[in-house]
Amino acid sequence: MINKKICMLGSFSVGKTSLVRRFIDSLFSDKYHTTVGVKVDKKQIDIDGQAVNLMLWDLAGEDEFNKLQMSFLRGSSGFLIVIDGTRAATLDKALELHQRISPDFSDTPFVMALNKADLKDQWELDMDKVNSLMEQGWSIFETSAKSGECVEEIFQQLSRAMLG
Amino acid sequence: MAVELDRLFASMDYLLLERMEEDKFMVASTPPAWAAGVEEGVFAPGSELKPSEYFPVLDIFYPEAEEVWESGGSAKAECDSWLQTGENGEQLALSARAFCFDGQSLLLIENLGEKYEQQVGMLQMAREHLLHNERLESEVRRKQMLVRQREEELAMKLLVASGWRDQETGSHVERIGNYSSAMAEAMGWDKDQQADIRLAACLHDIGKIGIPDAILQKPGKLEEMERSVMETHTSIGESMMGHLDFPMMQMARDIAIGHHEKWDGSGYPYQRSGEEIPIEARVVAIVDVYDALSHARVYKPAFPEEKVLSILKEGSGSHFDPKLLDLFFDLLPKMREIRERVVDTDSSND
Repeated sequence: MINKKICMLGSFSVGKTSLVRRFIDSLFSDKYHTTVGVKVDKKQIDIDGQAVNLMLWDLAGEDEFNKLQMSFLRGSSGFLIVIDGTRAATLDKALELHQRISPDFSDTPFVMALNKADLKDQWELDMDKVNSLMEQGWSIFETSAKSGECVEEIFQQLSRAMLG
Repeated sequence: MAVELDRLFASMDYLLLERMEEDKFMVASTPPAWAAGVEEGVFAPGSELKPSEYFPVLDIFYPEAEEVWESGGSAKAECDSWLQTGENGEQLALSARAFCFDGQSLLLIENLGEKYEQQVGMLQMAREHLLHNERLESEVRRKQMLVRQREEELAMKLLVASGWRDQETGSHVERIGNYSSAMAEAMGWDKDQQADIRLAACLHDIGKIGIPDAILQKPGKLEEMERSVMETHTSIGESMMGHLDFPMMQMARDIAIGHHEKWDGSGYPYQRSGEEIPIEARVVAIVDVYDALSHARVYKPAFPEEKVLSILKEGSGSHFDPKLLDLFFDLLPKMREIRERVVDTDSSND
């Protein structure tokens, strides 16, 4: 079986843990539970007839109290960078994180989740910036851990990219 | 390992492993109860195992830990806490430490239990506080945008009320706002101030609403008396906006009264000079002349750019603030871009 490690990155409270929970258990809770350190989960999926064992490393969101532990990224096969659509600053944080990991993971695939699509009427993202990233070829999905929108798809897309 | 020490590790919820070789360890103490939740029957004292099979986070910790074990000294390495789900679905909050003791390379895995909950509680509180602040800031931003929208509506209503009664077109007014905003950006003004001057500059001639059509729309040269009346548009504009005390309107009032003042004190209405003239008015004085000379009016054709720039240069230090004029010349490509982008639509002014 192929094992692949995916790291979930992003600012705090963007929904990284909720996306993992929706993907693994098909569950969602509105209550915010902060992550300390890292939470590791596994899920086996099928990509075009090939069984892949995904190790999902849900890393604590970065903020002024918690810096990303770069050592946690060792051996990553892919990154899922999460943004909270209702908080414009989380896009800047995502771009900053991407820039920080790029020197060591320039060839590692990544996808970006614009999360909380169920609250789209409250989104504050600079969509010009998002569109320009898409024009550069970034894979960006609008997701909702609450409704499940595009959650399966984003992990599938990343897994395909990791399998090359 | 002494029996007492073994009991101590077990009672403290520690799983102690002794390194045999790379990723091969021996269980060196009686395992704590939680270890059975990771994998039943694996952690019996004396049994050998690969810990990373049961604790995947250790893979990323080994490089650091190996340095400690190789050194054999008193150094130690700690792995950040992690959460993993046990066999029975129970969540375990663990951390690891590598150290040497009595010639042995040891790996200690601790169930953080309560300690982890306390850490989570503290961080949760801090982050909820951050989120609360973010929400407040976002609310303030939304309110500011509403205020800005209302200011824009007010400015537009004033411009519409003035009825474009003279030779100036909507495009001219828009260009003046854009040139001024470009100057403000180059001077390092913040975004709010840039937005303020973009609107405020549009209102520079709003006082012309009080000038009779016979003078305002006279195609030829004005008589001295007519000129005096025309010059009152600055003070009319000032009084129109005198009681509106929000930043954009205060700026618009300063521009209205000051945009015909000259650097050497020979302008009107107060013959102010140098930095006595508000900077916003000194900016508009430059861009207003640049735009007026560059475009046709009923009483004159459009001048070629070379001539426009030469007239501006002649006015440096007499009509215009010399430093601001230098800045304007530095920004000339941008000014040209604005001039070409915002074109006159009223054929009478072409």
